Amino acid sequence: MKLSTKLALACTTAMIGGAAAAETMTIGITQNNVGVDSYQTTYEQAFIAAAEANPDVEVVVLDAGGDVARQIAQMEDLIQQEVDAIIIWPTNGEAVIPAVRKAHQADIPVIVTNSNIAEAGFDFVASFSGPDNITQGARSAEIMCDRFKALGIENEAKVVHITGQPGYTTAIERAQGFNDRLPEVCPNVVQIDQQPGDWNREKSQQVMEAFLVQYDDIDGVYSGDDNMGVGAMNAAIAAGRVDGITFVGATNFAVGYEAMAAGTYWGSIYQSPVDDAEAALQTAIDVLNGEEVPFLNYFDTPKITQDNMGEFTKPVF
Amino acid sequence: MNSETRGNLIKQGAIWAFIVVELLFFSIAGEYLSVSDKAFMDFDNMLLLLKQSAPIGIIALGMTIIMINGNIDLSVGATFALSAIVLLDSMTWPFMAGLGDWAIPLAWGLALLTGVVLGAINGLIVWKTGVDAFIVTLGSMLGYRGLVFMYNGEQPTSHLNWTLVDFAEAQFLGLHTATWFLLVAALLLWLLMTKTIHGRNAYAIGNNREAAVNAGIRVGPHFLWNFMLIGFLASLSAVVFYSESGSVNPNDGMLYELWAITAVVLGGTKLTGGYGSIVSTLGGVIAIQLLRKGLGHIGADTETVNLVIGLILIAVLFLDRQLNRKGKEELKI
Repeated sequence: MKLSTKLALACTTAMIGGAAAAETMTIGITQNNVGVDSYQTTYEQAFIAAAEANPDVEVVVLDAGGDVARQIAQMEDLIQQEVDAIIIWPTNGEAVIPAVRKAHQADIPVIVTNSNIAEAGFDFVASFSGPDNITQGARSAEIMCDRFKALGIENEAKVVHITGQPGYTTAIERAQGFNDRLPEVCPNVVQIDQQPGDWNREKSQQVMEAFLVQYDDIDGVYSGDDNMGVGAMNAAIAAGRVDGITFVGATNFAVGYEAMAAGTYWGSIYQSPVDDAEAALQTAIDVLNGEEVPFLNYFDTPKITQDNMGEFTKPVF
Repeated sequence: MNSETRGNLIKQGAIWAFIVVELLFFSIAGEYLSVSDKAFMDFDNMLLLLKQSAPIGIIALGMTIIMINGNIDLSVGATFALSAIVLLDSMTWPFMAGLGDWAIPLAWGLALLTGVVLGAINGLIVWKTGVDAFIVTLGSMLGYRGLVFMYNGEQPTSHLNWTLVDFAEAQFLGLHTATWFLLVAALLLWLLMTKTIHGRNAYAIGNNREAAVNAGIRVGPHFLWNFMLIGFLASLSAVVFYSESGSVNPNDGMLYELWAITAVVLGGTKLTGGYGSIVSTLGGVIAIQLLRKGLGHIGADTETVNLVIGLILIAVLFLDRQLNRKGKEELKI
């Protein structure tokens, strides 16, 4: 049954007085790899809970187990089952494009969740629901600057920057957000160096060790995620210089949260898998209801620092 | 003799009976549990089933021959990934770009050659060192996977070619391109195993290697050919699949060796060698894909699939053992 007919039916039944239950919308999701980390596990639980809470939605929840072939087969199955919309968490941002095109050709709107597919596939996607990495970078810059102001060093502070893996969109966007925003809020702060830490704690620790040897004066460290941030922090602890340095990251990990509680790590960006899952489902519902949905539909990822960390539960990953 | 033939019939028919049971179960359960209005036994769905069976299926066909030999090949998943990288990356090489769409068959050829070479390495080592194939291919599984990661680090290797995608998505006489490759490969290998000397030798070696040597069969070269064949099939599987998807993760194809072996064993091929059939392996592959599809259709957890397949595998081996023992006892009397 076409969606429009379905909506019409829903309207008529509502007008009659809801004698018959309105037809529900069926949404299929194929996830990347549930169980590989707790972010994805929590995501799935939250997604199912959100769907159960909504009487108008039925969901088909699938998991590709990290296997591209399985994800493509699941896309084909969902198309074959004629679901109303498909949510996909790509196992590979390029390999799934032909499968997404198939859904598009079958008039099934596709919503990409968490990490976007490559640009060649944008034409076949209804919307992307996920974190806004540029804003995350900008907010990290603000956290850093606010801290410098509180410490009264906003006119002399020196910052080093550890980025994620070169070539990754997330890494590029966060770095860009940070580098653009910092001079706006704290024009006198100088970024003295920027090196990739490849999302890897050990690599980041080595990068920081080199920075500590090279520069006598470091007041702030921005890392593309908390995993790398904690690596950098450990290097500073080992060198006995952790006290004078403000560490700011993104994607608050449990290790980052703990380091914040311990008082050595200053702040981060809180990205909740629950918000991620709920945003994806809501985006799909909005698309099906014919509402205007922006192509890049971001969910909010708030700032978290030592000051307000009590408002957030400890991340599970 | 009669009871042995009957036992064979039961064993070869078992997998197809199992498939019928699966179809019935998912059709009926789907009526109550599925959120979809479409029947499970929809014709298009069955066509899709065959197509989705192709990646593991093509590898499992080769694995059947290796296992009839009494060997095993654990490196097929890594061969699959490495061939896929060669396929996609070669199309971006400067001299290939100048060839236009002619680059496609050349890239296919290079990918298939990769598989044959990797298979030949396995075969040569097994032949010349006499080390058990399990150990040799365990080593090459790790080694080939290492090559995959060396090629492009943790990054995916990508090249999206819409001509290639359109070819791979095409349907000829209703069947998808991948299905054609699976069925033609199955037919050729069935002919190889039932109508040629090479096929008969494969069974003979698996049954009793010493007797085969005494009978004048050159076991070493025979193994080499079979490992080259499975290498070829692993890369054929990659060629068919990646023509449609255009990007390979460095961990793609992991566990494919185990899925292929599962399918072969479900099809009744003996782990000790000397017994097995291509057609039954095809049944095993379809049974696995049917389970994956069916459990998804009735809304079961994806993890359930692995549990169910594991249980069925043990049940099949138990059944097989019972049937064999019965046969032997009856012969003795």
